[in-house]
Amino acid sequence: MVGEDDADGDGEARFGTDGGEGERARFEDVDWDAIDAQRTRLAPTRLAALLAGIGYALALAHDFLVAGDDPTVEVALDLPGGAAASTYALDVTAVDWLFVATLLVGGFALVPLATNRRLRAYYWRRFRRHTPAVLSAWYLLAIFLLGTVGTLLIEQPDLHLAAAYQPPVFASVDASIPTECVGPVVDGRCQGTWAYPLGTTAEGKGLLALAMFGMRVSMQVGLIATLLSVAIATLVGTTAAYAGGWVDEVLMRYVDIQQTFPTFFLFLFLAYLYGGSLFVLIVIFGVTGWGGIARIVRSEALQRREELFVEAARASGASTLSVVRRHVVPNVSNSIVTAATLHIPFLILSEAALSFIGLGDVTLPSWGQTIAAGRGDLATAWWISTVPGLFLFATILAFNFLGDALRDALDPRQEV
Amino acid sequence: MGLKRYIVRRIAWAGVVAAVMLTVTFVLLDLAPDAQLARVQFQAAASGGNAEAAAEAYAQRRGLDGPLWERYLDYLGNLATGDWGWSDTRSQPVSEAILTALPYSLMYTVPAVLASTLLGIAIGLYSAFNQYTKTDYAATFVAFFGISIPNFWFGIVLLLVFAVHLGWVPVLFDAELARTHPFSLANARQLALPVFVLGTSAIAGTMRYTRAEALEYVRATFVKTARAKGVSERRILTRHVLRPTLVPLSTILVGDLLGVILSASYLVEIVFGIPGLGRLSLDAIQRQDTALVLGTTLVPVFVAVIGNLLQDVGYALLDPRIDYGDR
Repeated sequence: MVGEDDADGDGEARFGTDGGEGERARFEDVDWDAIDAQRTRLAPTRLAALLAGIGYALALAHDFLVAGDDPTVEVALDLPGGAAASTYALDVTAVDWLFVATLLVGGFALVPLATNRRLRAYYWRRFRRHTPAVLSAWYLLAIFLLGTVGTLLIEQPDLHLAAAYQPPVFASVDASIPTECVGPVVDGRCQGTWAYPLGTTAEGKGLLALAMFGMRVSMQVGLIATLLSVAIATLVGTTAAYAGGWVDEVLMRYVDIQQTFPTFFLFLFLAYLYGGSLFVLIVIFGVTGWGGIARIVRSEALQRREELFVEAARASGASTLSVVRRHVVPNVSNSIVTAATLHIPFLILSEAALSFIGLGDVTLPSWGQTIAAGRGDLATAWWISTVPGLFLFATILAFNFLGDALRDALDPRQEV
Repeated sequence: MGLKRYIVRRIAWAGVVAAVMLTVTFVLLDLAPDAQLARVQFQAAASGGNAEAAAEAYAQRRGLDGPLWERYLDYLGNLATGDWGWSDTRSQPVSEAILTALPYSLMYTVPAVLASTLLGIAIGLYSAFNQYTKTDYAATFVAFFGISIPNFWFGIVLLLVFAVHLGWVPVLFDAELARTHPFSLANARQLALPVFVLGTSAIAGTMRYTRAEALEYVRATFVKTARAKGVSERRILTRHVLRPTLVPLSTILVGDLLGVILSASYLVEIVFGIPGLGRLSLDAIQRQDTALVLGTTLVPVFVAVIGNLLQDVGYALLDPRIDYGDR
């Protein structure tokens, strides 16, 4: 979002500002001692990132080497309210690990923005003008928290045939449709109850809980696969822009070919051949869907490399790698963030579509799967397909609004 | 480089792309675990036979026992000569299955593409001429709606409302009727919802692109000049704005619309039970008929390759400013 140069907020410190009584430092004098000191000193952000990385690696090693197939964490809990002591077991899957890594990377990518108050205020002013986008951001935050934190607190819904086909609260349905009406029966119509606020499926699973687990699946697919795509796209895009010549030609021709293959059918074909688990699906999405972002990164990087600040950095002896890392990528990140935000809804939709036709992970309650499950009961239990579909629609709409507003706020040159 | 040479080179490149894609699909198929082989082995073992021998017999029957390059050449040769393999589940050649399914797909995609293109261009132009008015915002919202709504779910909701509750359209698609009387009113009725669903997802892109392209010309100096000369608004719209807008648009339409239509129609067919290509492909996936899955995947791939080719060539032909030096 911003050059790392500004990130520390003490950018001036590298120039001679000791301003002592002695000789006055001129502006163009570079205080190399200050810079050397800065280089050896570990910035707090770096330190935090390092610690988080080490912690992550240790936890991962623990899960794979020590815990093995057992649940990762098992805590005996004394639930307040007189409930019997129960064991709280948490089995962290490979996707969860990737998800945590994604959130860590995303969080540390936001640090430069968070620490720079002026920049934050500037972007917020530009972003605030789009009311739908601000609402979307709140909605997505809620979905994200419900999906990540909320699902840790509730049980995955299981088969409960006695409670099948319960209508949502405030709705009612002919009493002959549910096996057994959980709520009151008024005038021969079964009323919905707060026990199942959004109703239940044919298997008696609460739709609210299903929708919440669906939020987690959607967020995991959208965020992890997008981060994978962004990482590959940035690498390929900057390499193509900087290497030029035949490297550029080969990489971009490859992107051409990948982009020609209709993405949905590529996902479909791969999911058919190799699919079955969410992990594989995410890898398929992440590894094959980055072509569009790579093109954007390349064209932006080509422009950035001609800018004066890049020339200045090169003139003062910066290597190509450090120019790319410290000057080009941060200045391309505006376009990357916009493209990534608009890439997420596409992936969420693709996952839902694949789950809908039965190519997703059948062990996880995703939105597409629930929509498909409710198709057969449309005439009698309309809510089964409708509820998860509404969440899916709202999430995709929110990401699209957000991406559009981000483009306006971050990337005023791109006007569509 | 001349235009002719560019077109020749572009066609050659399309050939390269197609070859690469076929190679990639071959490798993917070869690396994937063969579900059918596993089933054959399981059956043999379950009935007390030799799983090894059954696997060998299976491989021989399917022509999987030759060396890799031989199988690869066979694969390319068969595809090129129109022999797309044998569908086990349907007991007919894959190409025949695809040809039977295709008319059903075209039956609703063609009207949807025509309607969404015409309407999309009209609304986009209107938005450009009335930028930041209430109607423009409404059109923008419709576009967002169209991009965002999952079309398979939209189809389900529409079926719920218009077929189950209101009873205006039939719930089940009558393939027999569609085959015997494709141009009857009854067929139009059962195709109305699929056309509408497909249209909403396709119209959004057209609308936004038209608006963005037209906006470039609405404020152009030559439009100002025309207006100053006293040219009527209608003529400005059709001659001075629409014409240059159509050039980039026509190419965007081919490429982007194809992608939307291909993937959207897949799910639409499943929701509405239309026995077209998407339905065929889904059946093949569910019954693990790999030859048919491959065939139904290659159709959109070839359509995309040709669509891209037409897009680039069309652009070069229509827009004289295009420099085809490095392409």
